[in-house]
Amino acid sequence: MGPGPMAAIVDWGALLDVVLVSLVGGVGLTALFSIAVASAISFVDFRREGRPVEAGAFVAVALIAVVGCVAALVYGIGVMVSG
Amino acid sequence: MGGDDLVLVIVVAVALAFDYTNGFHDTANVVATSISTRALPPRAAVTFAALLNFVGAFVSLEVAATVAKDVVEAGAITTTIIFAGLVGAIAWNLATWYFGLPSSSSHALIGGVVGATLVAVGASAVLGDGLVGKVIVPALVAPILAFVVAGLAISVAYRIVGRRRPGPVTNGFRLGQLASGGVLALAHGTNDAQKTMGVIMLALIANGTVDANAEVPLWVVVSAATAIALGTYSGGWRIIRTIGTRIHKMDSAQGFSAQGAGSVVILAATHFGYPLSTTHVISGGVIGAGAAKRLSAVRWGIAGNMVVAWVLTLPAAGAMGGVVYGLTRLFGTGAVGPVVVTLAIVVLVTAALIRRMRSLGVAREGRPATEIS
Repeated sequence: MGPGPMAAIVDWGALLDVVLVSLVGGVGLTALFSIAVASAISFVDFRREGRPVEAGAFVAVALIAVVGCVAALVYGIGVMVSG
Repeated sequence: MGGDDLVLVIVVAVALAFDYTNGFHDTANVVATSISTRALPPRAAVTFAALLNFVGAFVSLEVAATVAKDVVEAGAITTTIIFAGLVGAIAWNLATWYFGLPSSSSHALIGGVVGATLVAVGASAVLGDGLVGKVIVPALVAPILAFVVAGLAISVAYRIVGRRRPGPVTNGFRLGQLASGGVLALAHGTNDAQKTMGVIMLALIANGTVDANAEVPLWVVVSAATAIALGTYSGGWRIIRTIGTRIHKMDSAQGFSAQGAGSVVILAATHFGYPLSTTHVISGGVIGAGAAKRLSAVRWGIAGNMVVAWVLTLPAAGAMGGVVYGLTRLFGTGAVGPVVVTLAIVVLVTAALIRRMRSLGVAREGRPATEIS
C-alpha cells in the first residue's frame, strides 16, 4: 500500500487535530495546575512570614490558574457534547 | 418470538456482558494511578470511576457510529456473526485478565467481529479503509501520543514545582488527581461504552429492527452505560496492581500528568469517532510520565509484555471470533448454535467459579484465621 491510498484512507487532518489538542490540552492543563500548586504553596509561605501583599498576589495567581483549568475542562466537554 | 429475534436477544445480552467485562477489565486504566499515589482509597476510587463512566456514556455517539458503520459491511452481517465476535472478544478479555495483562477490550471487540465476519462472509464484508483509517492507525498513534504528552507535561510540572517543599506538592497533586481521575473516568465511559452501543446497533440493523441510518436508541445508551458502570464498580484488582505499581512507582504529579494526558487524548479522539483503546492510552501516559523522570524507573520488561498483548489482541480475538462462528455453524444457521454456545459458556464459567471458590476454601482451611483478610 503506497502513500497515496493511505492518504485517502486516513483522515490525517482529524488525526493532526487530535495530536494538537492533546499536546496543548495535556501539557497546558498540567502547567496551569502546577502553577496553581506552586502559587498556593507560596501563598502559605508568605502568609506565615507576615507578608500579606506577596501572599495576596500568589493566591490570586493560584485562583486564576484553577479557574483556567476548570474553564478548559468545561470547554472541552462542551465541545464534545455539542458534537 | 422467532429464531432471529431470539439470536438478537442473546446478542444484546452478550454485548452487555462484554460491556460489563470491559468495565471490569478497564477499571485499572481509570483508577490505578489514583490508588498508586494514594490520592483515593481503592473502593472510593472505583465507585467514583463507576459513576463517571455511567455519565460519560451519554456524552457522545461518534464512536458508536464508527463501530456500527465503518468497520464491517452492516448489510452483509448477521446477528450470529456479531454473537461470535462478541464471544471471541470476551474470551480474549478473560484470558488477558487472568494473566494480569492490560490488553485492549476495544480491539478485542473489533478483532472478534472482524474475525467472525472474515470466516462467515469473507474479506469483501470487512471495510478495510475504515478498519485501517479509524482503528489501526489511531491505535498506533494514541499510546505514543499519550506517552509524549505525559512526558512533556510532567517535565513542565517538575520545572514549575521542582523547588517547592515535596509534602505540599504531593498533597496538591493528589487533590488534582480527584479531578484528573474523574475526567479520565468520564472519557473512558464516553469511548468504551459506545463500542458496545455500536455493536448492539449493528445487531439491530442486521436484524432489520432499525434502519441503517437510524439514531442509537436511548435504551441502548442507558443499558450500555449501566453495564460498563457496574463492571467498573466490580473492579479488576490484578490489573490495578500491574498498572499502579509494577510499571513504575509514581508520585502524585506523575499520576496527574498520566491521567491528564490520557483524558485529553481519549476525549479528542472520541470527538472524531476513533474507537481508541483506553488501556493503550493510559498505559502510554503512565510509561511516559515515568520515563520523563528517569528511564530506568520504568520496568521495561512489563511494559514490553503489555506491548506484546496489544499487538496480539486484534489477530487473537479475531481468531477466537472465527472459531466461535465455526462452532455455531456446526448447529446450522438458526438460533440453535448461539443458544448452545451460550449455554456452554454459562456452564464453563460456573464450573470455573465453583473451582475457584473451592480452591479459596482449601486455602482458608490451611491457614490460621488471623492470616485471612
